[in-house]
Amino acid sequence: MNIQVWFRWLYAALWRIFSGGQPIMNLAQSEMKEYFLDFSVALTGFSKFNLLGTGQADLYYSTIEQNIGNELLQELLQTFHNLDLKAKSANDQSILDKGISFDILDSKKFGAIACNIIKLWYVATWYPIPQTGQDSNSQKPFIVSPQAYPEGLLWSAIGVNPPAAKAPGYGTWSEKPSVTLS
Amino acid sequence: MTSSQENDLIQSVDDLHFYLKQAMMIEHATIPPYMTALYSIKPGSNIEAFQIIRSVAVEEMLHLVLAANVYNAVGGDIRNTLSSDEFIPKYPTTLPTGETDFKVGLGKFSPETIDTFLSIERSKEVDEGQPIVGPRPSQNNLLAVRDANPQYSFYSIGLFYAEIIRGLYALYQEMGDDLFCGDPQRQITPEYYYDGAGDIIKVTDLTSAIRALTMIQEQGEGSVIGTIYDAERLLSHYYRFDQLKRGQYYIVDQDNPSNSDQPNQPTGDTFAVDWDAVYPIKENPKLSDYSGEPELHSAAQEFQSAYSDFLAKIEYAFDGHPETLLPAVGGMFKLKYQAERLIKNPIPGRDGMNAAPIYRLD
Repeated sequence: MNIQVWFRWLYAALWRIFSGGQPIMNLAQSEMKEYFLDFSVALTGFSKFNLLGTGQADLYYSTIEQNIGNELLQELLQTFHNLDLKAKSANDQSILDKGISFDILDSKKFGAIACNIIKLWYVATWYPIPQTGQDSNSQKPFIVSPQAYPEGLLWSAIGVNPPAAKAPGYGTWSEKPSVTLS
Repeated sequence: MTSSQENDLIQSVDDLHFYLKQAMMIEHATIPPYMTALYSIKPGSNIEAFQIIRSVAVEEMLHLVLAANVYNAVGGDIRNTLSSDEFIPKYPTTLPTGETDFKVGLGKFSPETIDTFLSIERSKEVDEGQPIVGPRPSQNNLLAVRDANPQYSFYSIGLFYAEIIRGLYALYQEMGDDLFCGDPQRQITPEYYYDGAGDIIKVTDLTSAIRALTMIQEQGEGSVIGTIYDAERLLSHYYRFDQLKRGQYYIVDQDNPSNSDQPNQPTGDTFAVDWDAVYPIKENPKLSDYSGEPELHSAAQEFQSAYSDFLAKIEYAFDGHPETLLPAVGGMFKLKYQAERLIKNPIPGRDGMNAAPIYRLD
């Protein structure tokens, strides 16, 4: 067992002890993916329909899992889900918005990962995260798949077709771009 | 062919207009099934199958334009044709050829779907002078064969066009060049059509009309029964689809077509078809399949309305505004991305079944 894996194990064990007994390791993958989608909706501003419509949700999920590890991902998604539940039971969306802002985006542990997830959806690129223990110099940003690039949310956010992909048809270059964010 | 014969169904210009409108319906009716199967293929997989189906769908669009050119050339009034409520069939449907032994539906890319596509593109030859329609009992056929027994139907799309060609010859014999009274300005000519699917043919006389209709026949079924290629020495639609069942390409010898592969005996490269790398979409979906799912529901509605709008724009282009065709076809790409978004979305509570676009409201 190398030192990084050992630390992760220790961290997870301590989390279990100090998290009020709330288990984090037993989430089914389907549940995790559901939380991931809800979290992605909150992070990107795009609806679940549009996110699923990219066809990339599974690939992004596994990319994140491979790069930050299953435990950290579960912990992040559980944190989000707890905020979501609180907001829903109080019927107060601001609980979720503030929670995402303070507990996730401003968090030392989750902030960089959440930003990475936003970037992943928008530009289909995974960027190295130093805090995961991986040597950031040895890992370079990469586009997760050829099919993911044209599905980046960036393109529909700014109302253009992804350069060199999703051709909009002969002669349409003479038309104005149409911006929709839905 | 010298004059109108008793067996021929087209005896007047009105009959001819009626049949050409049916021709446009037939060409269009194949496009939603081809598009649905095409977009159900998961991106990055089944590259060969994707290219094959796409190449056929693009040619069906060309056929629609060619049929409209013939219709305009013989003085047809295109208004309220593509934009009429009945132009988009209710899937699953029989084709307007009247045949009822198979139905065409909207479904994912699968061996069964390809079987249906093969039925659409099947061929048969009928000798000159013999009746083209067969006395087959048919039910619910969309085509009420004009002034003829409605129980009759055409075995293949090619025979349907053979009937139109007979009618054209016969009417030309009676009327001469007066038959082609349409304004040539209404023709969709190559400058208005960006094609990768054979030539667009400007129809102004008998020769060009026959050329246009023959091209439609041959791209579907081949130039001569018993061969795999059309007059442009390209593989016919039937054998393009047949390749998917066999996982092997046919070879057409461009220099000497008679040296091409024989039907059912391809000798080209083999390729893998992954029937599982496909989104499991709802067959022949209806709007009610998405009730309780506001986003799916409105996305399906938006697609349907965009599709009707697309057809209305095409009709406008055929109605003397050929310069509007290219921008309208550009709109088809937006439809594609709308369709793909639906196809990638599971319908909640339907056990992994995905949504699919709706072309006509219930």
